[in-house]
Amino acid sequence: MAGTGLAPLRDRPDVLLRVEELTVEFPVGRHEVVHAVSGISFDVAEGETLGIVGESGCGKSTVARSIIRLNEIRGGKVVFEGTDLVKLKGEALRRQRPNLQMIFQDPISSLNPRRKVRDVISEGVRVWGGGKGAWSQGRIDELMHAVGVDPRFGDRRPHQFSGGQCQRIGIARALAMDPKVLICDEPVSALDVSVQAQVLNLLEDMKKRYGLTLLFISHDLAVVKNVSDRIIVMYLGKACEIGSADELYEHPHHPYTRALLASIPEPAPTVDVSEGEISGELPSPINPPKGCRFNTRCPHADGICLEVEPQMEAVGEDHFIACHHPVAVSISV
Amino acid sequence: MAEPLLSVKDLCVRFPTERGVVQAVNGVSFDLEQGATLGIVGESGSGKSVTAKTLMNLLPRSAEVDGSVVFDGRDVRALAKSHENHFWGVQMTMVFQDPMTSLNPVKRCGEQIAETLRYHLGHKKKQAIAEAVELLGQVGVPEPAKRVRQYPHELSGGLRQRVVIAMALACQPRLLIADEPTTAVDVTVQKLLLDLLDDLRRDRGMSMILITHDLGVARGRCDEVAVMYAGRIVERAGTETLFTDSRHPYTDALLRSIPRIDQPSHTRLDPIPGRPPDMTGLLPRCAYAPRCRYAQADCLTAIPELGGIVGLHSFACFHPANTERGEAALTANLDAGETAAGLRIHPIVEGAH
Repeated sequence: MAGTGLAPLRDRPDVLLRVEELTVEFPVGRHEVVHAVSGISFDVAEGETLGIVGESGCGKSTVARSIIRLNEIRGGKVVFEGTDLVKLKGEALRRQRPNLQMIFQDPISSLNPRRKVRDVISEGVRVWGGGKGAWSQGRIDELMHAVGVDPRFGDRRPHQFSGGQCQRIGIARALAMDPKVLICDEPVSALDVSVQAQVLNLLEDMKKRYGLTLLFISHDLAVVKNVSDRIIVMYLGKACEIGSADELYEHPHHPYTRALLASIPEPAPTVDVSEGEISGELPSPINPPKGCRFNTRCPHADGICLEVEPQMEAVGEDHFIACHHPVAVSISV
Repeated sequence: MAEPLLSVKDLCVRFPTERGVVQAVNGVSFDLEQGATLGIVGESGSGKSVTAKTLMNLLPRSAEVDGSVVFDGRDVRALAKSHENHFWGVQMTMVFQDPMTSLNPVKRCGEQIAETLRYHLGHKKKQAIAEAVELLGQVGVPEPAKRVRQYPHELSGGLRQRVVIAMALACQPRLLIADEPTTAVDVTVQKLLLDLLDDLRRDRGMSMILITHDLGVARGRCDEVAVMYAGRIVERAGTETLFTDSRHPYTDALLRSIPRIDQPSHTRLDPIPGRPPDMTGLLPRCAYAPRCRYAQADCLTAIPELGGIVGLHSFACFHPANTERGEAALTANLDAGETAAGLRIHPIVEGAH
């Protein structure tokens, strides 16, 4: 489960965001660090939706937060439109911020409870001081209308809205900056199923309407498949498998991807339910296993997995995995 | 037919609040046979957890409860009044959603399990701890002798939930109520926990009520499923029937709105319009009518009772989906472009975004 290696990077002119060998570590206690993300590489083309799936603690949110520089980055590059964001400081970094916006998991706590939603939506633009007319009542009304919140309720405060509506307001706030990339960190996990579908459809509509590129993080495999063009499966700070959404679910090669697909309540038809029986606990990210990080729980692990970290390799067109013993056969449906 | 283990009739629960009376549960009735698993699914606010808490006598004092709950011939609500202490936790137990908050953080796991055994069964401390080790082994906790001496924060989420399950099983209950037992854990752990609950239930001939918002979980693990909306059971059927031949438009819409793993990516989802009703001001009409594609004039003037074949497939709807009557209502609404409740509807277009 290594997932180091630049194999999944594509040499295409329309690549908007490229993350190379991103490494994030958080210090804990004395001389110890949490290896949250360890050398992950991927890219996102313009207009594409990249899904990131994995269980809690796999580093998927850290990847998202690192891209917009919400936490310290230990190493690697985050190249956005040819500029390495990791090297930027001060004003130059500030100039890039509107391009990358984020929406968060808990819709209610991510909005300031004391402010009117109209002000919540416009605050970013006001602070950033975009060009004249970049924010006006008309623009806010248009945004609220676009996300499906009645502009007449602009003077209400977040607690007067339901969770689903607050998430819509969060989306409007992100869109107000006219971003190129929208990073969605578990945007529907806190919502009820009927509302979840509304917000997922809204994200697709907004993507089309405003020409967005999406980074979509979720632990829900069905949700990720629904919205994504390409998907990365992460485990303990590393990427296991990267591929186009349909291909990855139809021909999962990595034992961990297969375990995930076999564990969901209505398992994917391409895997055997028994593959979901992965033993043991998630190892500590303070002291991750040597070699392949999945070796403590993998049914196929042997000597080489304990010693050598597997590299990302192509197993099909736009399909990469990092595993010494990929599961070659897929049961055809 | 033998007497059901649990029989709930016309259960109503109201909470007086500053904003008005919240009508959390409005006439819920169901029977549960010995050894069977009933799934209760519904969105937040549908009354599923309040129903469970009523059974467990865990409601705050301000709650106003009506209706009857009979467990193995005993009137459960009368037991509550007589301060019966050895019923809940012995005959009927519960597993909650968040294992961290249902465990005492300053007590060792073993002591917490032993506490149950000492209080209810009068075990001596040493014997109770020994039994706690045994129970932890049964629920699949590795190295149980070591774990009994650990505190909850030293365990992972999955292990903590196993400790909670061990506590719930300590006194050999006949009914286990699991309220979203796997919502706080990852999918791989979820599978293991649900497998465990399945095995334990089968081995012990225990009945189970599994409360979940995840339709997939209910489908895989229950004999029967009841769907709740606005404090009522709107449909109840054998699991396969419910998922393949649903009658209530809400069940139907719920099943259509979730993304499915077997659909290609970018499949347009079919959300339920609007949102759940305000539970303080429920009107004498079908609570789902304002969001329903099938709604007719009669849905707005009366509350449909749970009908159909009780015990086999029952539903509370005047114009059930997948029936002639329902399809006629839907066609009429589609022709008019809106429902009787004024919801604008369009034909569902299957396909990609």
